Amino acid sequence: MFDILDMSASALSAQRTRMDTIAGNIANIDTTHDASGKVDPYRRRFVVFAPGQAGDAAAPGVHVASIQQDESPFIRKYDPGNPDADKSGYVSYPNIDLSIEFVNALEASRAYEANVTMMENAKAMINSSLRLLA
Amino acid sequence: MLIDRLFNQDSSPALEQLLRFTETRQRVLANDVANVDTPNFIQKDLSQADFQAQLQQRVDQAAQSSPGSVNFNDISMDVQDTGGLMFHDGNNRSMEQLMTEQAKNALLHNVAVELLRQQFMKLNAALKEQPE
Repeated sequence: MFDILDMSASALSAQRTRMDTIAGNIANIDTTHDASGKVDPYRRRFVVFAPGQAGDAAAPGVHVASIQQDESPFIRKYDPGNPDADKSGYVSYPNIDLSIEFVNALEASRAYEANVTMMENAKAMINSSLRLLA
Repeated sequence: MLIDRLFNQDSSPALEQLLRFTETRQRVLANDVANVDTPNFIQKDLSQADFQAQLQQRVDQAAQSSPGSVNFNDISMDVQDTGGLMFHDGNNRSMEQLMTEQAKNALLHNVAVELLRQQFMKLNAALKEQPE
């Protein structure tokens, strides 16, 4: 019975990682340089979930299998005056769409809530079973 | 005699199995909710009808035989894939259905616990030689 809590906890941390990734995307929505200062727009990142716990794929639960980069093309804007512009005058911006990120964030927080509810119910069930002894 | 009947003949064994069923089912449903965004995950569930049929059969048997002679513990609880609309990511989630089922399951669990508790209180009353 107690492993229900582990299961829901694994989902909570997976959804939180997803939310962290989304926050990273939104924070970097205008980032056109990499950490070393070279022109290299930020690529959108997203999580991939897989069933099973992080260390043990056979255990029930969920974990983040990988964080992948979105290989779709960058958003190009015509801005010849910008020092980051290429030969034809276009500047590449990260391939991040705010509305996609917001919908994703909403989904993540709803899923988080659902798992909290499952956890609370499991706790209530354990409690009521324990009351049998008293 | 009372203890024998209480533990082996009356509703106790059936309630005990009901508790076992609701706990197992809660575990399966919690796993479904955890994997609600996992690609290619088929949602799973236990069949309540299957369980009820098996329980019914044993309760009928127990009514006609001596206390404790019917085994309630061999009721099978097989995890089955659920049907439903498949999304593009290969997951057939239905959040509404999941949450409804788990709420019903939790209530059923509480019913079983409450009934079982009353059985134990009867025993308690007998032990203390006091009416409830």
